[in-house]
Parts: sequence; C-alpha cells; structure tokens
Amino acid sequence: MHPSTFILATTEGGESSGVELLLPAWPELIAGIIAFSLVFFFVWRWVWPSLSKTIETRQGAIAGELTAAEKAKAEAESLRADYQAQLANARAEASRIVEEARKSAEQIRADIIAKAEVEAEQIRARAREEAAGEKARALAEAKSQVGDIAIELASKIVGEALDEEKHKALIDRYLADLEKI
Amino acid sequence: MADQRIEGYARGFFEIARGEGQLERVENELLTIARTFETARELRSSLTDPQLPLDRKQGVIDQLLGGRAAALTVGLIQLLVSQNRVTDLPDIAIAVASVAAASREKELAEVRSAVPLDDATIERLTAALARATGKQVEVKVILDPAVIGGIVARVGDTVIDGSIAKRVDSVRQAVRSN
Repeated sequence: MHPSTFILATTEGGESSGVELLLPAWPELIAGIIAFSLVFFFVWRWVWPSLSKTIETRQGAIAGELTAAEKAKAEAESLRADYQAQLANARAEASRIVEEARKSAEQIRADIIAKAEVEAEQIRARAREEAAGEKARALAEAKSQVGDIAIELASKIVGEALDEEKHKALIDRYLADLEKI
Repeated sequence: MADQRIEGYARGFFEIARGEGQLERVENELLTIARTFETARELRSSLTDPQLPLDRKQGVIDQLLGGRAAALTVGLIQLLVSQNRVTDLPDIAIAVASVAAASREKELAEVRSAVPLDDATIERLTAALARATGKQVEVKVILDPAVIGGIVARVGDTVIDGSIAKRVDSVRQAVRSN
C-alpha cells in the first residue's frame, strides 16, 4: 500500500466517531446475518455431507489399500519364508547328492582296485603256469632231442661198424627167422 | 585221389612197357631210379623247383639217364617231370612192379636192404617169404642205406622188418617215452 493512500483514508474516517466506525449499520447487520444463515444452511445441508462422504470414501479406500498392502507384505513375507525353506531344502538335497556321489565314487574306486588286484593275481598265476609249462616242454624237447642225437650217432656208428660179413650174418639171421615162421 | 593217380600212372606205364616188350627192364630201372631220386636230395629239389624251366629239368634227366637206362624208361620219367609228378616216382615205381608181378600171377615182395643181395640169398628169401605169406612172391630188392643192416620185406600189407633201423627206432621210442 502506498503511504499516501493510508493517509487519505485516515483523513476520510476522521469525519465520524470510533465505535461507529467499527459496527455496521443495523440493516446491514441483519442482511448480513440472513445472508450468513443462508450460506451456513446451504453449506451444512449439502456441501458438508457430500464433502464428508467423499472424505469417508477416501478414508475407506486408503484403509482398504493399507490392508491390501499389509496383506501383500504378509504374503511376500510368507513367500520369502517358503523360498528360503525351499532353498535350504535344495541346499540340503544338493549336499546329500554330492555326498552320495562321493560315497558311490569311493565304492566304485574300491571295487575297481579290488578287481584289478584279482586280475593281476590271475595274470601272474597264469604267467607262472605258462612259464612252468614252457620250462617243462623245453626240458622234454631237449631231452628228446638229446636222445635223438644220441641214437642218430649210435646208428651211424653201428652202420659204419657193419662190414660185409656182419651184413651177411644179419641177413642170414633174418632168413633163418623168416624160415621159422 | 593220389592213390588213384599213382595207380593210373602205374597201369599206364605197365601197359606201355609190356606193349614194348621191355616190361622187366623198365620196372627194374624205375625202381633203381626211384631209389636214386629218394636219396639224392639235390636232384629232387631241382626237379621239383617251380622256378626251373621244364626243358632244364628234362635236360637234367637226359644227362643222368641218357644211354644208361632204356629210352622208354627215360621217356616215362620225362612224362612225370613234365606233369610235375616226379615226387610220385617212388610210389609209381613200386606200383608198376606190383602190377607187373600181378600180371605174372605173383605178389610183389618189396625188399629193402643196405647191401646188394646175391642170387642165392634172393632165392632163399623168395622161398621163405612165399612160405611165410602163403603167396607166390616176386622179390624186388631196393638198396636203401636207411635200413642200416638186415632186411625189411613188404608183401602187400604185411611188413616183416628185421632191420637195424627198426631196432634203432624201438630204442628211440623207448628213450622218448622215458
């Protein structure tokens, strides 16, 4: 407000007393009261109920949303709990499977080693048998070869030792034997 | 199969030799040559060598026998060489002798000895073998050093073995079975 305007108003009011300046005139007061009552009635009768109804609806809606949110949160919580339980189960299962696999691998390893040892022993036994058989065969072969050589030599010596007379004697004996048949 | 073939050759040779009137000579020569073939390893291997051409083999035969054996005998052996049957010669020679003996209504006595036998011994042997087998026999002596000493006689399926070789063999068996 411009200071000059204030000064102007003060100079205008200065024409009447102080209280009159504050109180309205009666007709104006009555008209004001009536107008206020009309406005009050209007507000009380229509505006207020609709407003309060709107507020109530909003409140209900908010409360419903809150409940839903609570519910969702609870659900999420329970889901999380379920999930965690499942996770724990899965972990337990996994470690059980790993343990089983380890155990069965251990078993298989032991089996394989045992089998290999048995086979190795069989191979060794077979090799021993074969070696023994081979030795026996070689000995027998050597024996028979030595015998053959000895006899071959003996027959050569006998053949060379046979002179005409001995040949004749052998033939004569053959004939004599034949004639006895 | 082989027996049939040998029999066939023997019958053929026999008929040819008889037809030519040289039966006895041919059968004796075949036996002698067969004996040589059996003992001479080199001769045998060169005559059976598949690498050696036929005319070379026949040349070897001609060189060995030409003039010494009857032309017919040489021809028969040439036939065996050309048919690659020279390994059958010993069997064929025996078979020819057997067929020839049969044609004289006698049985062949195949006698193997390390030394030649004189006529008196052969006569004695013929008589003794005839008595022993109950058959008329015809002795053919084959010189075989493998006999060592004594005699092996075979008449048909009967073998009368009085050789040193047999005794050596029995000693060999005894040694082996120990």
